[in-house]
Amino acid sequence: MPKSIWNGTISFGLAHVPIKLYSATESKTVSFREVHLSDGAPIEHRRICSKEGKEIPYKEVVKGFEVAEDEYVVLEKDEVKAAAGARGKVIEIEEFVPGDEIDPIFVEKTYFVGCRDDGDAYKVFREALEQTGRVGIGRFTFHDREYLAAVRPLDGVLALHTLRFHDEIIDPGDLDVTIPRKGPSQREVKMAEQLVESLHEKFDATDHEDTYREAVLDLIDRKAKGKKIERPEFEEREETDDLVAALQASLKGGKS
Amino acid sequence: MPRPLWNGSLSFGLVNVPVQLTGATRDLDLHFRQLHKKDGAPIEQRRYCSQDEVEVQWEEVGRGFELDNGKQVVLTDEELASVQPEKTRTIDVQAFVDVDDVDPIYFDNTWFLVPAGDSQGTRRAYRLLVEVMESTERAALGRFVMRTKEYLVLVRPRDGLLSLTTMRFHDEVRPTDGIAPGGRKPAKDKIEQAVAVIESLGADWDPERYTDCYRERLKRVVKQKQKGEKVKAPSEPKQPEPAPDLMEALQATLERMGSSKGNGKSASKGGRKKAAAKS
Repeated sequence: MPKSIWNGTISFGLAHVPIKLYSATESKTVSFREVHLSDGAPIEHRRICSKEGKEIPYKEVVKGFEVAEDEYVVLEKDEVKAAAGARGKVIEIEEFVPGDEIDPIFVEKTYFVGCRDDGDAYKVFREALEQTGRVGIGRFTFHDREYLAAVRPLDGVLALHTLRFHDEIIDPGDLDVTIPRKGPSQREVKMAEQLVESLHEKFDATDHEDTYREAVLDLIDRKAKGKKIERPEFEEREETDDLVAALQASLKGGKS
Repeated sequence: MPRPLWNGSLSFGLVNVPVQLTGATRDLDLHFRQLHKKDGAPIEQRRYCSQDEVEVQWEEVGRGFELDNGKQVVLTDEELASVQPEKTRTIDVQAFVDVDDVDPIYFDNTWFLVPAGDSQGTRRAYRLLVEVMESTERAALGRFVMRTKEYLVLVRPRDGLLSLTTMRFHDEVRPTDGIAPGGRKPAKDKIEQAVAVIESLGADWDPERYTDCYRERLKRVVKQKQKGEKVKAPSEPKQPEPAPDLMEALQATLERMGSSKGNGKSASKGGRKKAAAKS
């Protein structure tokens, strides 16, 4: 059983569901620690006052917001908390929206939702969400900051996604990109569709392994055995100029 | 346009389209700097060797990995770069999948892939790819390397451009074992009541309705402090007690919703229509 990271309540209308949150994801990227190359000893990061040149304990640290160059407004840790809001440990669902309307670009982090009691209210809520195809949108405070969140059924449990705000999503119209006005010919579209179809498969996450992680672990193994590590050279590929010819060749089973 | 984060090409079959990567999301959080309380001077993070107590420059830092036998292997950045596969400059499309089959739990970060270079041919190929993925509702699955890490990525159309999303690998999503409560399925009438409450609080997804109140409040706190005002931290509010009887709570909610019909923003938003359940 994993450890929960937050205990609270989901409320919708006058109903309350006592819940716990669990991390739903964990990075498996091979992580290294910084070491001193000359003696292999671990590196420590120390806080040094830029004026005194001395190390500073954490309790003497305050947060500074830069309002002009080298001019800071100082906030104590408690004052930052004042912005977190007086929401308490409640995820208040404001409304329920159709689940397929939220583009995944809004999703930031995912948590699994468990329950703190016999689970009766939890099961009712989960089942009802499943039947309606809707997800609950609400806000909650976690680690002294407020998040927008979506609660939805997933894989037999409830999942909570923290969401980005709309002004954090860049509008493609703000990018200076020129796409040719003239659309592709019917023939090109048809060939491309055939190509997409021939490469179509059902998505299954377990089909895709992190081969880079494996390569890094293999590198560590080779280095541990005292082998010499060299960097390979790569070739550049040519860009496509004759679209029809490239599509045709691809459909004939050519592979770049 | 901001400087591209990555230059390379997207290739499917024998078609190679030169592309650049540029952000699709922006971080609007307020960022703070650590200061020394006593003199207000910025604090610097410096690296020290834990053994010989000297400051260490970045060039003298290696990557240490502890083996199972307790021994440590040290790699230089140069050595680490040697395992970057050839795909460094290419996003190879391995397959096309249905967008709906990919759960957002796998989504990490999203960027725009914009066409690069001046060739008309490549821009036409780009547009062709956008149109075909839109009409087939398929997304391209591929791999690419940014900085030092290889990612599984999903390329899909977004407002006439291609977007690229880095994805988590399946073993980076934790199992859900033991999280959901077991036992019997709840009574049908309870579920029906909850469905009624959910539908009465139904609305369309309109992201512009939600502003980042935390960001706004934090800006206000900074302004208050700048004017020399005092800022007080709020006291922790009490946690609501779970309703002793869920049915009563659901019923009371429906009654309250009924009496405030026309006032509530969600009720007036026309969100009462039944959502098409996702298959």
